[in-house]
Amino acid sequence: MTALLSTSAVGKHYGSGAARMPIIDGLELSIAKGEFVSLVGPSGCGKTTLLMCLAGLLAPSEGQVRFNGQLVTAPPIGLSVVFQDYSRSLLPWKSNLDNVLFGMRRVQLSGPEKRARAVEILAAVGLSGFEAHYPWQVSGGMQQRVAIARGIAAQSQLLLLDEPLAAVDAQTRADMQDLLLDLAKRFNQTCVLVTHDVEEAVYMANRVLVLGPRPTKVVREVIVDLPMPRDQLATREDPAFLHARHEVMALIRGMRQGKALA
Amino acid sequence: MKRETRIALLGLLVPLGIVILWQIAALLQKTPLFPGPGKVVVAIWDNYPVILHQLGITLRRASAGFAVAVVTMIPLGIFLGRVRVVGKVLEPLMDMLATLPPPAIIPLVMLFAGTGDWAKIVIIAYAAAVPLLMNSYEASHSINPMLSRVAKSLHLSRLETMRLIDWPSSLPMIATGARLAIASSLLVSVTSEMLLSTNGIGTYLQRSQENFRIDAGLAGIAFISLAGVLVNAGVFRLEKKWLFWHYRDQRPAE
Repeated sequence: MTALLSTSAVGKHYGSGAARMPIIDGLELSIAKGEFVSLVGPSGCGKTTLLMCLAGLLAPSEGQVRFNGQLVTAPPIGLSVVFQDYSRSLLPWKSNLDNVLFGMRRVQLSGPEKRARAVEILAAVGLSGFEAHYPWQVSGGMQQRVAIARGIAAQSQLLLLDEPLAAVDAQTRADMQDLLLDLAKRFNQTCVLVTHDVEEAVYMANRVLVLGPRPTKVVREVIVDLPMPRDQLATREDPAFLHARHEVMALIRGMRQGKALA
Repeated sequence: MKRETRIALLGLLVPLGIVILWQIAALLQKTPLFPGPGKVVVAIWDNYPVILHQLGITLRRASAGFAVAVVTMIPLGIFLGRVRVVGKVLEPLMDMLATLPPPAIIPLVMLFAGTGDWAKIVIIAYAAAVPLLMNSYEASHSINPMLSRVAKSLHLSRLETMRLIDWPSSLPMIATGARLAIASSLLVSVTSEMLLSTNGIGTYLQRSQENFRIDAGLAGIAFISLAGVLVNAGVFRLEKKWLFWHYRDQRPAE
């Protein structure tokens, strides 16, 4: 199985000498095509820094990130990031449709083809009829769906999701979890979800990578042996779900209480 | 009657009251140096062709100075905001210039540029430069870092990022600077004409005063305020139209 995204001994620190602050140290991971992988860790473990390194937005201090076998030095084509702060990541002077089209600037299609594709993807995220609205005219959940649509539209193979649902309300959140899973399947997206919500991490993923405290690295891999599609009621009551959730939660709680790690 | 209309009407009552008091005071005075509103209206009727002509000259000069400031100061401000080191070095200088009243440079400009049109345009451009430079500088160095990340992750080149993301997101602040600059160009164009008299509405005011034609001077002032109100309303409308996304008066759809 060839990896779509992989890292070898990635490290990241800020400052130098006495002020040297290590954030990531010796991080190894490998994501295969078609997977949905969650990254969870204790608060402040450097999840966002890690995601920026994976996305090519931040250069690691040591080690390498590879996407499709190519060394990542800048954001590669085929990799899209969905940020937590949707209200700032969308352009307020562009309509929802134009925001999605803006993500397609590097896509090799004619104007009308791009437009048709953008309309199709907006429909897939449930925003038919909101193409001409501006992001600030629609709710938070809808804004994040525009951002997801923009990510997918950019000929994406891999979606890096940085706590995409942290700022939306609880009910919208459950709907968006199912929507994301559905989109991943429909548009053949491999997904890496960074979250601090253990329930969400387990519910959405085939595989959960548990990150250790700072300087962080992957300390445990938990396979979520549950079929897709998931169901908000049945999946969350499944013994396999409960077992995986217990394992991840126990690990993170252990770290929070400062216990030694395996 | 709606509450807002009532308040608007009350707002008109205040100037109306002042005009009535003014008329009463003028009738009690009986001196040509204190004309009442009636005399001013007559003066407006008698002098409006001259006033409009002179005001036109002034507005043309103010626009020229403002235009010079726009094409030089907005790019300079953006450049200083982007190139942090240069911006930091020049920040104290900008702060000093910002507190210097523009008419203070008139004698200096006269020394080098004489008293002609160019001298006035230089002074007006200087007055307009300060708010334009400060606001463009502030706008370009406080661009939201999230947008830079978005630009990078959408594979935009540096030039595209500047044109498609940095420029539009800086526009509201630059527009505010432009509004302040327009107000100060008008102000300084009149002031400079009063000091370097050749023509223009400032000169007209000065001449009226020298000839004890206070009524004609007040007529000129009335036209200046009217021009100010019209220009302001025009600028405000343009801002609302182009920066509608910044003012966001629409309610969310849900």
